[in-house]
Amino acid sequence: MREFGQVLRGEWTKFRSVRSTVWCVLAAVVLTVLLSSLAASATSTDANTAPRFVDEFSFVHQPLTGDGTVTARVASLAGGHEWAKAGLMIKDGAAQGSPYAAVMVTARHGVRLQSTFDTDVAGNAGTAPRWLRLTRTGSSVTGFESTDGRTWHEVGRRDVDRLPRVAEVGLFVASPLDVQTRKTGAGSNETAMIPTRSTAVFDQIAGDQLDPDAWQRTDVAPTVGPRLGEPGDADGTGQRFTVTGSGDVAGYGIESWIPPGDDDMVRNSLGGVQVGLMAVIALGVLFATSEYKTGTIRATLTASPRRGRVLAAKAVVLGGVVFLAGLVASAAAFVIAQPAMRANGYTPPAYPHLSLVDGPVLRAVVGTALFLALLAVFSLGIGAIRRRTVGALILVVVLVVVPQIVGPVVSLNAELWLGRLTPVAGLAIQQTRERFDSAIAPWAGLGVLSAYAVGAMVFAIVRLRGRDA
Amino acid sequence: MDASIEVRQLRKTYGPTVAVEGLSFTVAAGQVTGFVGPNGAGKSTTMRVILGLDAPDAGSALVGGRPYRTLPTPLCAVGALLDAGAVHPGRRARDHLLWLAHYAGLPTRRVDEVLELVGLAGAARRRAGGFSLGMRQRLGIAAALLGDPPVLMFDEPVNGLDPEGIVWIRGLLRGFAEQGRAVLVSSHLMGELEGTADHLVVIGRGRLIADTTVRDLVAAASGDRVVLRTADRSGAMSVLANAGATVAATDRDSLTVSGLPAERVVAVLTERGLPFSEVSAHRATLEEAYMELTRDAVEFGAPEVHS
Repeated sequence: MREFGQVLRGEWTKFRSVRSTVWCVLAAVVLTVLLSSLAASATSTDANTAPRFVDEFSFVHQPLTGDGTVTARVASLAGGHEWAKAGLMIKDGAAQGSPYAAVMVTARHGVRLQSTFDTDVAGNAGTAPRWLRLTRTGSSVTGFESTDGRTWHEVGRRDVDRLPRVAEVGLFVASPLDVQTRKTGAGSNETAMIPTRSTAVFDQIAGDQLDPDAWQRTDVAPTVGPRLGEPGDADGTGQRFTVTGSGDVAGYGIESWIPPGDDDMVRNSLGGVQVGLMAVIALGVLFATSEYKTGTIRATLTASPRRGRVLAAKAVVLGGVVFLAGLVASAAAFVIAQPAMRANGYTPPAYPHLSLVDGPVLRAVVGTALFLALLAVFSLGIGAIRRRTVGALILVVVLVVVPQIVGPVVSLNAELWLGRLTPVAGLAIQQTRERFDSAIAPWAGLGVLSAYAVGAMVFAIVRLRGRDA
Repeated sequence: MDASIEVRQLRKTYGPTVAVEGLSFTVAAGQVTGFVGPNGAGKSTTMRVILGLDAPDAGSALVGGRPYRTLPTPLCAVGALLDAGAVHPGRRARDHLLWLAHYAGLPTRRVDEVLELVGLAGAARRRAGGFSLGMRQRLGIAAALLGDPPVLMFDEPVNGLDPEGIVWIRGLLRGFAEQGRAVLVSSHLMGELEGTADHLVVIGRGRLIADTTVRDLVAAASGDRVVLRTADRSGAMSVLANAGATVAATDRDSLTVSGLPAERVVAVLTERGLPFSEVSAHRATLEEAYMELTRDAVEFGAPEVHS
């Protein structure tokens, strides 16, 4: 261990005593920061000018004056979407955006109490059949659920301001859009929004003020602009209804809401890395090949005939320096990019403000430094295997840079598979939003790059041991 | 650790080319051993094998009784200068020695000591790319001396040095031997080693040609010949032939006589009243002795030109 420390110290002295390596590190930092802020100020969004909620569903209702309770069983919920909703709602009429509260079963996300387009309380898991109960007391609305109609469990209680004394109460069904994005060419894509419909059967409908003959059905929908879903339907009398609906009742704060912008702000803040990495590749390759070019390798191997140790020490020094430099670069790039992005429309509610210490941001920023360090070690390994600067540089560039250019031109599928199989997969660590073009999960992507780095180093050590210097 | 290099039955090939074949020799402590042979004879290959840089196909090379790759701190066991150009041109002289010192766990102070020793203290902060060949040789020697090793190896150390540098290096090599170190110095010119080497290992085409002391080699090449300068060449030839000598005319007025010692030659000529201006015992130069030895072993000899 003492000997490894000595070799480490020697390699550090080698690293810092040559101007070209120092320049490479500086270039990596400057390019990353500069190009990141350039890219950040060149992108903009109008996500916040788009509607901030969706209020579109099939509503079977009648007026309720003052306090009261409604109970019904959702016997079944079929079709549509994982976020298909069926349940009981109290709402200030059919006007768009009017206050509401609803207790519901969903197709795949359990029982929920949602209100005023911004609050979402989860109840028990599971779906229909399920008894639901909604109680209004003043401005407070409480939701209950039960699996047998006898034992009730409170899902939650919300205050709904501005709910008038006479409000509409009843059954609702909604089923959100299915969003499918596909690539139509390099850098352009097409988003298809396909309406879905769900049908729920309600029975055992009861309430202290309910009039079995007063039910009416309304398609709550935007009065201007296109509808997102399709008109609904209802059939039944008194205590049993079959309701079909399309659309959603949601906004920022409710999980089923599809925000109008899906840009990955964090990733876009760190885009300069894709240029900065070139300097890192050059640095890694040169740290190995310059030993062969200048003949220093013979002095190195005479000073330490344990060849594996030499390469390991090089990897530690290089990886460590690049990690620290990369951390400075990515943190600076992120911080500098934020005001520029805010000025270009990236503001709440579509894009909440981000801070360096937010979990996903921290992962992306530290992960970017790790990405650069691993890429440097991979380049070092290739340099040590090839021994010649030009050959090694070409090989690494072909593996790292070319897929990013070629993939998008060919097809989305090609882009995704190149993003999973080449060292570029490591860049997935910058993702903070799951998007249609996300190739691989963040840590898995970094794992792919690690495999490349470890593989190259092992092969390099085997070759260095087996060959004459 | 015992100061020596032992090469035993070494064989090294590069593809179809046999670089060294069945080579054995020992470099002893306290003397300078010259390692001589024409270019391409296998000197550098042998040195690389000794340093563990190249793996032998057969045989072994031991430093102080151990294979190089098993030495705990190699720089303190062997100091070597293989190629003075093998320095990163962008690195300062001092930094080049500093990383080596770190590798061997030597104190920084040692770097300044060896820089002083080779006369590079003033250039310590200059980048090696701007060094003359002589300065690079000095830097290489400084690197070899870092660990104060009992065994030293230099591959063609005087190549490209000015006369002053050559004198300096010879004194240095003699000094190392007097300190009790084992010193191996390679050269393709025997003359460079005259007055420096005590012992000679001569190789050609990868094989050992001679492993001998300088004195024995010169004596063997000289034979017991006498050079005679005389105005009456034909008279002297017949008189000396009658006295039992073998005589050859080497020049217009000189003869080479073998089979008679110099005193007898003088006596015979004086007896007959023949004139002579010089009688001397012939002594071969080291270069001549070497040419004699390696005549058949020159791999890339110049073709004979008839003009």
